[in-house]
Amino acid sequence: MGLVLAGLCLFFSFATIKEQSAMSEAGALALAETIFAKHGNEARVLVATAGLPEEVAFAAALERGLEAAGVQPLAVVSGEPREARAALERIAGEGAGLDVIAASASAGGWLLFADLRTDIPALGDPELIIPTTRKWPDFLKKDNLLNIANQIAVIAIMAIGMTLVILTGGIDLSVGSLLALGAVIASLLIRELAGGEQAGTFGMILACAGAITICGLLGLVTGWLVTRFHIAPFLVTLALMLMVSGVAYRITKGESVYQVPDSFTWLGRGSGLLGLPNAVILMFFLYGLAHLMMTRMVIGRHLYAVGGNRVAARLSGIPVERVLLFAYVMSALLAGLGGVVMASQLKSGSPTYGDMYELYVIAAVVVGGTSLSGGRGSMIGTLLGAFTIAVIQNGMNLMNVESYTQKIVLGSVILGAVWLDRVRRKGE
Amino acid sequence: MKSRFLLLVAFACLFVSGCGDSPESPGQKSRGLIGVSLLTLENPFFKVIGDTITEEGAKHGYETLVVSGDKDVAKQSNQIKDFIVKGAAAIVLSPCDSKSILPVIAEANTAGIPVFTVDIPCNEPGVKIVAQVATDNEGGGREAAKAMIEALGEAGGKVAILHLKQAESCILRVKGFRAAVDGHNATAAGKLEIVAELESGGAKDIGFRAAEDALQAHPDLRGIFAINDPAALGARAALEKAGKAEQILIIGFDGQPEGKQAIKDGKIYADPIQFPDQMGVKVVEAIVSHSKGTTVPPQILIPTSLYRKADAEKDPELK
Repeated sequence: MGLVLAGLCLFFSFATIKEQSAMSEAGALALAETIFAKHGNEARVLVATAGLPEEVAFAAALERGLEAAGVQPLAVVSGEPREARAALERIAGEGAGLDVIAASASAGGWLLFADLRTDIPALGDPELIIPTTRKWPDFLKKDNLLNIANQIAVIAIMAIGMTLVILTGGIDLSVGSLLALGAVIASLLIRELAGGEQAGTFGMILACAGAITICGLLGLVTGWLVTRFHIAPFLVTLALMLMVSGVAYRITKGESVYQVPDSFTWLGRGSGLLGLPNAVILMFFLYGLAHLMMTRMVIGRHLYAVGGNRVAARLSGIPVERVLLFAYVMSALLAGLGGVVMASQLKSGSPTYGDMYELYVIAAVVVGGTSLSGGRGSMIGTLLGAFTIAVIQNGMNLMNVESYTQKIVLGSVILGAVWLDRVRRKGE
Repeated sequence: MKSRFLLLVAFACLFVSGCGDSPESPGQKSRGLIGVSLLTLENPFFKVIGDTITEEGAKHGYETLVVSGDKDVAKQSNQIKDFIVKGAAAIVLSPCDSKSILPVIAEANTAGIPVFTVDIPCNEPGVKIVAQVATDNEGGGREAAKAMIEALGEAGGKVAILHLKQAESCILRVKGFRAAVDGHNATAAGKLEIVAELESGGAKDIGFRAAEDALQAHPDLRGIFAINDPAALGARAALEKAGKAEQILIIGFDGQPEGKQAIKDGKIYADPIQFPDQMGVKVVEAIVSHSKGTTVPPQILIPTSLYRKADAEKDPELK
């Protein structure tokens, strides 16, 4: 599985290589020298940026560099194209003309500068200079890698629970609806009981814990129906999926609940250790725990045994019912937690969340090499599976693949990954 | 060894499928990317918007990537984050949820990428949206009422509305419709009486059931105003089933191909039609004006126009 993921990363890295601007202070000073060398200290220069913090710093450094060389820029604008246009029209009005426009990468793309010769001919033919660039894939930008991890965190967290259920030979279709319910209850509790937009940290933690607990109780119901009445998990969780989704719509009247404080986004959008988003830290932490549980603890062995051969497990004294119950409760709890994370990411809870997520979660588990008939699989595999799906989706967006094709490719890759896994297993 | 070969084949497939769509415009240097995330691409209406933006964008040297949010705001957020990473020149979206989409719009604002909405506006405070392009839905509702009055003539009669209450646009349509009906009733002899307002889900099956219910409650119904074409066609099916297709007239909304065909066949009396292509054109105009530094109006409303049987008969797109 790791091989497929590595291959995908390699592929997208090559496919998304693009010129990236380097906006360092050194770059700005070098640019100032270039301008001086070309046009002398009589150069008529406009400096323009889109007003982002790094760009403003770049513009300031450039201005310093120019002034050191004895060049006084005619104008320095940071902000919208409109402001740059106003400055240009003023310069044209003064009849001054312009030699150089030094623009940051984002401002360099403005049509204002591209069409200047036809739009404001009085300025002459200024040269547009954009800081030096280097080739680097969009895919491997730090922001994008964090993006991928953040985008998959919710699905990956839910996939832990799904792995447990699928290992026992079951399936849980209700996780998407439980995610919506978790998100909705957490934000409703914050709105109604914890004080809405003025809610304190403690109140929010209680609200989230409450939401996750309610989801856990629903998981208990699923597990009870599956073990006590021997109803197929597919049916029980299908029914629960419908009911839970209906409840989520009813208690919110179909609207999103957004009266939550700004600090509620700490979990979903804040970042802590090493600049990693909190949701991603939580995801890795949970995977660490789950991996330990599966490899070092009795319950892990029991889960494999129940999924591998239920009769043999029962005969060897494993409490099969309790193991199954554990799997469904964990799946529901983690779905509720996923809902809380998503509510935090989107700063609101809505019953529309999680639609079809059960299928993505199942896909992540299966792509990760867990057998749908139970007894075989691993947490590491599931994590890799989740990342495979995230990388494909992200990579296709970066490669300008439109939506229809994305679906086809995603479906084919899931099929291909599972098939590949089969072939390799046979070879071993 | 075999597995490695298979891996290669898999990537070759992916590569081919990927490259087939990469819009590398030869010759001219691209002026940047317009990232478009629409509510859905299952509805032809949004497909037209996306296609027009692509087409118009290309005229101005832009590359365009159109993706579908599939009505899932989390998915749409991810798509927009990907646009930000790509350093898009502009982002166009029709929000899947106007509240939950705010964080990611704020992110685009911080990244200095201009944001535009199309069809579905987002009027929440705290974020900066350069321009919002949408249909003049309230005006469209008034036109629907005009068609209803014209169709029912002197006699007037009972009218039912098939609503889609969670959609802001449909609330405006019904508001315009009711206002125009009230205005008409104040002066005219043949009054229109709005007797029911039922949820249609904006879909054929639910519109069908809602119209059946309306017929049960009001057997002497004369007209139905449905807030979109699927609901109108669902209502038509219910009328045909009840044998009341002659007695009751339907006014739809949108002017999707199926709706236009139904108008030609006399199944729907008229539609105030929307112009998704116009929306695409206006969005690109707004993007270009903003990038050129000229002023862009924050609200751009596209008027609807009434489309009757006579228009349908002249329409070259219909068979």
